[in-house]
Amino acid sequence: MSLLDVFLDVFSAVCLLTGALSCLLGSIGLARFPDVGARLQAATKPQTFGLLLILVGSAVHLELRNASGLILVALFQLLTAPVLAQLVGRAAYRANSIRRDVLVIDELGQRLDSEKYHR
Amino acid sequence: MVPVADRAENERGPVERRRADRVVSRRRPVARLLRRFPLMAWLVLVWVMLWGTYDVGTVFFGIVIAMGVAVVFPTPPIATNMVLRPGRFLWLVGFLAWDMVISSVRVSWQALRYGRETRAGIVEVQLVTNSDHLTAMVANAVSLAPGTFVIQIDRANQICYVYTLGVSEGDAASIRHEVLAWERRVVHAVGSADEVTMVDAHVSAGRESR
Repeated sequence: MSLLDVFLDVFSAVCLLTGALSCLLGSIGLARFPDVGARLQAATKPQTFGLLLILVGSAVHLELRNASGLILVALFQLLTAPVLAQLVGRAAYRANSIRRDVLVIDELGQRLDSEKYHR
Repeated sequence: MVPVADRAENERGPVERRRADRVVSRRRPVARLLRRFPLMAWLVLVWVMLWGTYDVGTVFFGIVIAMGVAVVFPTPPIATNMVLRPGRFLWLVGFLAWDMVISSVRVSWQALRYGRETRAGIVEVQLVTNSDHLTAMVANAVSLAPGTFVIQIDRANQICYVYTLGVSEGDAASIRHEVLAWERRVVHAVGSADEVTMVDAHVSAGRESR
């Protein structure tokens, strides 16, 4: 086992473990946060970060031909996660699933109130 | 009662109407194909990456599939005045990656330390530039980082409503500042020269007023 192999093993172990930890912390947030908006953050973001790290950790041990699919996984995750967060968050806000008492600042609410938009 | 415009539409022959319904003009097919080249190249690349085999056969079928996709789902040409500045763009990507690390830690800390007591805020941010593509990219960049996402966009007034986790009442100004910094980075990476001048002017105006 050459020095490079050892280095790659350590690198991928660090990536995989940090990625798993990030996913775990996201899940803890999912369980502990008070409302949809906050849970959405925990459900989409640390998971994305964790997934990226796990992909990097796996990719260094694969041949390029197998790793190229992983690049696509990462790319589409990065493109779709924010869109998903925006759509779900917006729907949750309109459906009053984001608790107003959790929001210390709510300039969207003020705007909607001033336009007699909601309710 | 059928409106006048609709009646004219109905009186046209079936062939004519079908042509009018097309999203993309059928004239000058070669020029259209050339304009589509970046899309085709991207589709072929995705195809090859999905298979993971880099040989002539895969590329050939990739081209066939890409042409099929382009014919079945015609898209209108996107008019844009964006300019890619590779150095600035790489910097933007690097910054996004770094921001992702930092804010992942921050959200995790919020979850562990505050949990149910976590507070959030929705802040109104007035963007400086007025472009569909830039607004979309800024919103995506802001939404990618853990802890913040754009909950609503008022495109007509260039306003983004940004949801941020773990804020206290005095944080509105700093969140606004942060989102505008993202806008500046995106504009420097892909915006037109005019838009770069706009954001830079906005920064110096902000400094003078302070």
